[in-house]
Formats: sequence, structure tokens, C-alpha cells
Amino acid sequence: MAAAAGSGTPREEEGPSGEAAAPQPQAPTSAPGARLSRLPLARVKALVKADPDVTLAGQEAIFILARAAELFVETIAKDAYCCAQQGKRKTLQRRDLDNAIEAVDEFAFLEGTLD
Amino acid sequence: MAERPEDLNLPNAVITRIIKEALPDGVNISKEARSAISRAASVFVLYATSCANNFAMKGKRKTLNASDVLSAMEEMEFQRFVTPLKEALEAYRREQKGKKEASEQKKKDKDKKTDAEEQDKSRDEDNDEDEERLEEEEQNEEEEVDN
Repeated sequence: MAAAAGSGTPREEEGPSGEAAAPQPQAPTSAPGARLSRLPLARVKALVKADPDVTLAGQEAIFILARAAELFVETIAKDAYCCAQQGKRKTLQRRDLDNAIEAVDEFAFLEGTLD
Repeated sequence: MAERPEDLNLPNAVITRIIKEALPDGVNISKEARSAISRAASVFVLYATSCANNFAMKGKRKTLNASDVLSAMEEMEFQRFVTPLKEALEAYRREQKGKKEASEQKKKDKDKKTDAEEQDKSRDEDNDEDEERLEEEEQNEEEEVDN
């Protein structure tokens, strides 16, 4: 196992599977429900800082945003899948996503942002 | 590197995993759809941040906190997220508390034992501490940023 070469997130090196591309510094996978967040907080924080009106964001806020983004991904994937099912396909396509965005009110904020 | 906020993407592998776990076995996702969902997630974070910031400003605070984000979720009509988010927050707080106590304990132990004796062990512990220090440094970063 390669020793961390001065990087701040040595846990990336410990991924045994081929999906080693997933940085998960914050994810304890020991028990169900103990998985707090899979999205790296640093990236979420970068998004938050991109907002010029935001002065500071607490660690808890960043964490909740990360978790909310995960829930959002799950939700939109499931909604898009409903569209694919109607087309009897087993692969989710971009158009399924577009349909879901049009159909679901909560996704209205996404209109025009994905192109 | 990123020219626009929406270009700050979340890691593809993680997004893919979340999608796959949300969907039934055997269902695939095209690259375009996956990339669009990833982008949508970034937009979601940006939008949520902006909403949360409004709540913070209403409360005359300069720091976004957890309840601002929860209020934002309701505002954005994602009330169904609020309960799981509150549970996650409690778990997170417990974990943070545990981490702090653990690292304080480690520091105490380190002082007690000889350095030479613990050199190998402490290399691993150092990695853990570096990670926590990173978080603390990030926190310090937050305090220095003045947008």
C-alpha cells in the first residue's frame, strides 16, 4: 500500500477496489446509517464559497449541504428512472432527466442550467 | 481552474455510486445523463447556498449555519429532505464530538510515551491527525475569507 506522499487525504490511497477514483475522506462505512456523507466536503465548500454574497459557512452547514446534494441526486435519479421505465429502457438517458425536470415542480430551478 | 461556479463538479465516481444505489439493479445510466445529474447537483448546492444565505442575513448573521440550510430546503420545496437531514446532522455532531475527544486522547498518549517507541504507530495516527488538522485549517480558512 502506497504511503501518502504528503497529501492531506491519505485515505484515498486505501481504497481496495478499482473505484479508487472516489475520494471519500468523510465516509465511515462501518455500520449502516453511520455513513454520513460520501461527497467530499471540500468540494461542497468550494461551491459555497463561489457565491459572492456568502461571507462564511460553518462546518455543519457544509455537511448538511453535502448530504442534501446526495439526497437530491437520489431523488432526481429515481424520478428520471420513472421516465425511462415508461420507455421500457434499462439505461437512463439525458432526455429522461430533461423530462423529469419539466415534470417535477421542485426541479424547476434547474431549467436552462444544464446546457 | 473553474471558470463558472457551475463548473465546480462533484466527483463523478461518487455521483455514479449514489445514482446506482438509488436505482434498481441492472439499471444503467448514460454518460450524458450522469454528467447532467452531476451538474444539477452543483446547481442545487449553489441554489441552496443562496437561499440559506438569505436566512442568515435575515438573522443578521454572517455565517451560514445548519438551520439556515434546513430553512432553505423548505423554501425550495424539498421538505422531505428535512427529517433525514436533521438525523444526519445529529449523527455528524456526535461523530465530531467523538473525533475531538479521540484526538485529544491521542495527544495525551503521545506525550506520555516515548517518541522512538511509537514512531511506527504514530505515522498512522499522524495521518489521522493531519486530516483533522486539515479540517481545522479549513475552519481557520473560513474565518479569514472575507468576500
